[in-house]
Amino acid sequence: MEKELIMNAFHDVYWGVPISIYFWLMGVSAGAHVISGFGWVFGLKKYKQVGLIATLWAILALLIVPLILIHDLGKPMRFFYLLLPFYWHNSAPMSWGTVLIMLYPCMMSIYAYFMYKNNERMAFIFGIGSILSAASTHWYTGVVIQLNPGRDLNHTAIASLLFLVGAFISGTGFLIVTFWIMNIFLNPLKKIRDSFQEGFIKRFIKACSIGEKVEDSLIVEMGQVMAIGIVVELILTLNEYLQMIYGTMEEQSNLYDVLLGAFRVPFLAYVFFAMLIPLFILYLSPIKRRPFGVAIAAGLVCIGIFGMRLWWVLGGLFQQSFY
Amino acid sequence: MSEAKWMSKRTYGLQSPPSLGVPGKKRYAMVIDLRRCIGCGACVVADDPPCVRNCPTQATYKHESGFILQRYNRCIGCKTCMVACPYNARHLLPAARTDHSQPTDVADKCDFCIHRVTRGLMPTCVTTCMGGAITFGDVNDSESEVSRMLDTHKTMTLRSDKGTRPQVYYIGLDGDIADVAASYADRSVQMREEFNIFKRNRLGAGNIIEGESETGPVGFPLQVIRNMINFVKDIVEKGYR
Repeated sequence: MEKELIMNAFHDVYWGVPISIYFWLMGVSAGAHVISGFGWVFGLKKYKQVGLIATLWAILALLIVPLILIHDLGKPMRFFYLLLPFYWHNSAPMSWGTVLIMLYPCMMSIYAYFMYKNNERMAFIFGIGSILSAASTHWYTGVVIQLNPGRDLNHTAIASLLFLVGAFISGTGFLIVTFWIMNIFLNPLKKIRDSFQEGFIKRFIKACSIGEKVEDSLIVEMGQVMAIGIVVELILTLNEYLQMIYGTMEEQSNLYDVLLGAFRVPFLAYVFFAMLIPLFILYLSPIKRRPFGVAIAAGLVCIGIFGMRLWWVLGGLFQQSFY
Repeated sequence: MSEAKWMSKRTYGLQSPPSLGVPGKKRYAMVIDLRRCIGCGACVVADDPPCVRNCPTQATYKHESGFILQRYNRCIGCKTCMVACPYNARHLLPAARTDHSQPTDVADKCDFCIHRVTRGLMPTCVTTCMGGAITFGDVNDSESEVSRMLDTHKTMTLRSDKGTRPQVYYIGLDGDIADVAASYADRSVQMREEFNIFKRNRLGAGNIIEGESETGPVGFPLQVIRNMINFVKDIVEKGYR
């Protein structure tokens, strides 16, 4: 033990499980928010009903993020240094990421307010802004770990794309599971809604469509949208996999020692749960047109994408921790 | 304004351009002769350091003479520099220190002992190296000992393919040891076990052990849960710091 410490031979994985959870939550938030934009920005009327609640889930997922990030700092009380203009560093991805993480919930909240007020024009304008900030915030989470030439596993140009597509499918999956559970508990939710007296809370609950059945056809359609995302994710992963097989020694070592070695559980969970099994359920299985089947696929996608966040963040740091 | 004047105005020289071979500039470097080395471990100082460009609060900066320095009062401990460094040359200072005036929980690195070098002394590692394996000096000065070593010996640097222009040169470095993938793949059973013992003794937030039982379908999720519990436990402890 003393020898390793003195020789500085072994190192910690600096960005650990909490950062993986942050990446996952960020993805769920961005994905859910894009689904919310389907109705109010892209004009798909069917999705309007779930617009506000999807954004509320996105805000809720995002509220946990700063708690994790600030506590992960060595000096949590200094988190505001990132916001001070004279500490600003142009070339640091994290500086830009801080701005995006600040901007995203603000835009989302304004967008949610106009959805609540049923102001279509303003919701459209702020919807565009918030979807752009959602995409760029999650793009940043891919970039912040991609721009480290020392981490061979993460240093790839498709990193941010993988993150964006993964965010979209995990966010959609999270919403599908939520809507499916809300449909199961429809009667209790109705009772809760009706128990409130007329006022702000009741109006808010009504605007969120809580206690109203989410159409089965909408859930199935969201499943089909998710399936397209899964196909894109599969192509990107296959591309990266091929590059690793035909790659340099670092890339091969990443594939065999990290992805199929110490991190085989999250990696295989990603391949099977996030891609292969959901694709089978959504395209080939007899339950592909039933909300239950789509919800199962969606739940698996959420688990699988969390596996991807684990091997992505920890795996890149793990291999070099020996060096 | 000429470049030299502009540089002199920047006290900290946050993103000083690489100074290797630039006339009139100093570029401190180190040559380590591995034929004399007994393997006590060494630092890396780069001429184009990724840790400097990735630091979000300008806590890490590069001096125009090549030193990479840390402003502890600016560091928030986000560990970006550690993730960026291809050499694992950066570390987080421990939370508990015997001398309470010393900084804690912030990132640090070897600074070529700037406090000694600016007073005309050699870095501590050079003076204490019992084999006399380390040579230090200004590589831009053709008369210096370090330049002479570089001219007369075949030298190698660690992971120069990462675009960092490292300024610690090795004489007699084995390529297989220097290559991270090779050293990972070729490590012995004993080293794997030592790695696992090290990780088990750490309460880090993300340390994954690579033993057979720990990477399986049961062991891996358990490790993840254990890491998360450590992270949550640390909330209470951090409140006292």
